[in-house]
Amino acid sequence: MSKYPTRRSVLRGLLAGSVVSVGLPPLECMMNAQGTAYAGTASGFPTRFGLVFWGNGNVPDLWTPTGEGFADDWALSEQLEALAPIKHKLLAVSGMSVKVPNVLPHYSGLAGILSCAPGITTGDESTMQVPSIDQIIANEVGSQTLYGSLEVSVDGGIGNSHNGPHNVNPAEESPHALFERLFGVGFTLPGDTPIIDPKIGLRRSILDAVLNETNALSARVGAADKARLEQHLDGIRSLELRLARMEEDPPNLASCGYPTEPEASYPEIDGRPQFSAKSRAFADILVMAYACDQTRVASNWLSRPVGNTLFPGASAGHHNLTHDEPGDQPEVRAIVTQVIEEYSYFLQALDAVPEGADQTLLDHCAILATSEVSLGKTHSLDEMPLLIGGSANGFFHQDMHYRSAGQENASQVMMSLTRAMGLSLAEIGAEEGLTSDSLADIEV
Amino acid sequence: MPRLSLLLLVALASCSSEPPEVEPPSPTLRRLTQVQYTNALHDLFGEQLLVSDRLEPDVAAEGLIEIGSSITTISPRGVELYEAAAFDAVAQVMDDPAWRDEVVGCTTEDTACAESFLEDFGLHAWRRPLSSDELAVWVGISDAASDELGSFHSGLQFAVAGMLQSPNFLYRVELGETDPDRSGGYRFTDYEMAERLSFLLWNTIPDDELLGAAAAGNLTNRDGLIEQTERLLADDRARHGLRTFFGDYLELYEVAHVSKDPFLFNHWSPEIGPAAEEETLRLFEDWVFDTDGDYRDLFTTKKTWVNPELAALYNVRSPVREGFDSIEFSDSDGRVGLLGHASLLAMNAHPTQSSPTLRGKFIREVVLCQPLPPPPAGLNTAIPEADQDLPTMRDRLTFHMENPACATCHAFTDPIGLGLENYDGIGRYRTVDNDFPIDPSGDFGNGEDTFDDSFGLAERIAKHEDTPNCMKTHLYRYATGHRESVGEADALIALGDDFKRGNYRVASLVVDTVLSNGFRKAGAVE
Repeated sequence: MSKYPTRRSVLRGLLAGSVVSVGLPPLECMMNAQGTAYAGTASGFPTRFGLVFWGNGNVPDLWTPTGEGFADDWALSEQLEALAPIKHKLLAVSGMSVKVPNVLPHYSGLAGILSCAPGITTGDESTMQVPSIDQIIANEVGSQTLYGSLEVSVDGGIGNSHNGPHNVNPAEESPHALFERLFGVGFTLPGDTPIIDPKIGLRRSILDAVLNETNALSARVGAADKARLEQHLDGIRSLELRLARMEEDPPNLASCGYPTEPEASYPEIDGRPQFSAKSRAFADILVMAYACDQTRVASNWLSRPVGNTLFPGASAGHHNLTHDEPGDQPEVRAIVTQVIEEYSYFLQALDAVPEGADQTLLDHCAILATSEVSLGKTHSLDEMPLLIGGSANGFFHQDMHYRSAGQENASQVMMSLTRAMGLSLAEIGAEEGLTSDSLADIEV
Repeated sequence: MPRLSLLLLVALASCSSEPPEVEPPSPTLRRLTQVQYTNALHDLFGEQLLVSDRLEPDVAAEGLIEIGSSITTISPRGVELYEAAAFDAVAQVMDDPAWRDEVVGCTTEDTACAESFLEDFGLHAWRRPLSSDELAVWVGISDAASDELGSFHSGLQFAVAGMLQSPNFLYRVELGETDPDRSGGYRFTDYEMAERLSFLLWNTIPDDELLGAAAAGNLTNRDGLIEQTERLLADDRARHGLRTFFGDYLELYEVAHVSKDPFLFNHWSPEIGPAAEEETLRLFEDWVFDTDGDYRDLFTTKKTWVNPELAALYNVRSPVREGFDSIEFSDSDGRVGLLGHASLLAMNAHPTQSSPTLRGKFIREVVLCQPLPPPPAGLNTAIPEADQDLPTMRDRLTFHMENPACATCHAFTDPIGLGLENYDGIGRYRTVDNDFPIDPSGDFGNGEDTFDDSFGLAERIAKHEDTPNCMKTHLYRYATGHRESVGEADALIALGDDFKRGNYRVASLVVDTVLSNGFRKAGAVE
């Protein structure tokens, strides 16, 4: 199994019994020479996972890089041009398929790519039967940081980070609110002494009472509600753990600092969202959230499946365009270009933060960019768009284009990502999406 | 006048025959929706309280947020948001001595005062009396916080903020008890009935009188239930409660978030979406509480409610300089009934154009409860661009009809939606599409039940037997928090008959729903 204790096991272990006392025992396996809580990686810095997701796919013919292999053997495509400054730290994977049956446009692909399993659909609503990739990872590594995971949304939707069926981690839609949450009251810079506030202990004793009441209620309800309350209990335990951690010394990370404070709001201009400005405000905050080790898992939901946002410069909603724009779809391609520009910005911002000797924060990350379909026009689940930025502490090859010869299962890329994050799962996904193999060719 | 008619309806309902027995599914916890949470805090502390709008988001399931709240789970983020919202609310009250004393009631600043306040607060917040053990926990926390922080009211602050994070506040715990009238069966308890009634009719927690009726055991008997239903329906808060139902049923919460191109639609603005939602809710409120009209006539009425911006969109003279007032459309305005509302027309359209398919789908699925299969995933769903050969939407949609793979479903949506082609992507009236005249005729599939235009479509919808039945079914689902099971089929059929017998008066249906065994009886917890 994993070399890390899981979030649940830590939470349960710590919080079993009565009111928790402050001062969590540091776990030996999580310490480096300086005694700070780093993962056991070669660089001494933890590995972080990120997901940048956009809806409605791409235009595969103009997406797939030319050439295969490393460095000069491959070149970026038209739609990936914005990644030129960071190509040397990019891994492009093409020719992979979602194997889940494509029975429901967009949702089959969404559940297939992110949870490696078919979704569950009743009427007009769908949900994932198993957690999404970010939460599979957060379940294992999330207990080591203040926040098990962070979710942000540029288009204002709740995103698709799933803990399980009907349990979405609602994404933060306001950069300023995210800034306040992470860097406002209660944030301590490395080297500073955390403020010991008796109110924190009292808040924890409240949560303990709430925990007991939730357990008491759980004993009286039916099976479905028991499962719901079990998830609610996880949330209560996470908050208790976070409050306990707030009184500990913060991780001793030299690159940690305050990000730029975002605007109070990002209103639409001419009926179009401030897509780039808002996305970059989130990116700047997430970079520091990683640098300060406030979390090791984040997802940025730029837009959603079937999303019909009027993108800047577009003459119709995104989803309409994917279906109705004739020819080689210049407007759809322009939207994909905007998405990739934001992904490139995020990678470059991570790469601008030094972390250790001759390394950057990006070197200790794996930032996946993907969508729920490839060609939006036909909802195709072949040729899925898959990019990984950063080597994840040397786990992934860099400056590489891997092209699958036989439309291999896209779940294998997710399996590789779990391995990059230090998990050793026997398999990932369910039914047609299930796999026990990672994609060995992209791993060092 | 309206209240008199309500009383008559209650009398009518109570005269009808004994409702059919039900076998409901296992009861489930319903999380308070964002609006219910906000209303509850206002009732507990006062209307002046500013309640955070950053709460666990509401998600619809089976077409209703009210059902979504019984399926979805409180996420880790939600736990965090509820904690912050509770502390924020309680701080507002406790930091203001006058407000604080009004809420707390006693001023002795001792354990006895804490106990009496928390007992009363718990009764209202948790919609049931606290057990002595439960009360002791929160009094203990109040005392501990009071000692630690050196302030009695800081102690109360922590206890109250904690009780608002309790599952006993955040969920509606309605698990039932043994039913003395039915061997092996279960019914909802008196306190559970109190909150079922108040959330259905007022969308908030029970008031003192309702809690008193529960304490007296009056809500598990029919006469007591009728008396309280009558009282709640006659109160203005019922307007809010039933508006919430109708907005949930028609998914009107979507209107405020639709994306429309401001260059193509210069009558659209960030304010017009909420105004359009308000129009539809006002007309419904008017219909139920003031006009006391036949539900079906909502589709053919020429009456509606507008503010100056909506009047401009509809190209009619505004009756008011600001706010809303009612108007009657004339025939030349080209608009009639609910399906002529900008809310439904804009929601069921694209950012830059109308969509007969989305409009037809909405009428089929939401208005008539006739579900359609999702489109096949592997299909190219593009319709041709507008050009000289295919200038209008009708021309372009012939593609759907000529392609058998499309036609199997689109034959059931497009010909209905084409009846609304006189309204553009935001619901503004038009007679031409790309300079070519619009033909707004249509049918209900395969050439059956044809109509000439939106007026004819409205007549068809109003006369369709599925129209009132679908609304009745959604009210039942909203009231019970679940999609009906096989064991509730008879109860639903009976409610349909009651609705018809009551001349399709919504208030009458509400009373019958409350008196239905589906609302009063619980399934076994399993």
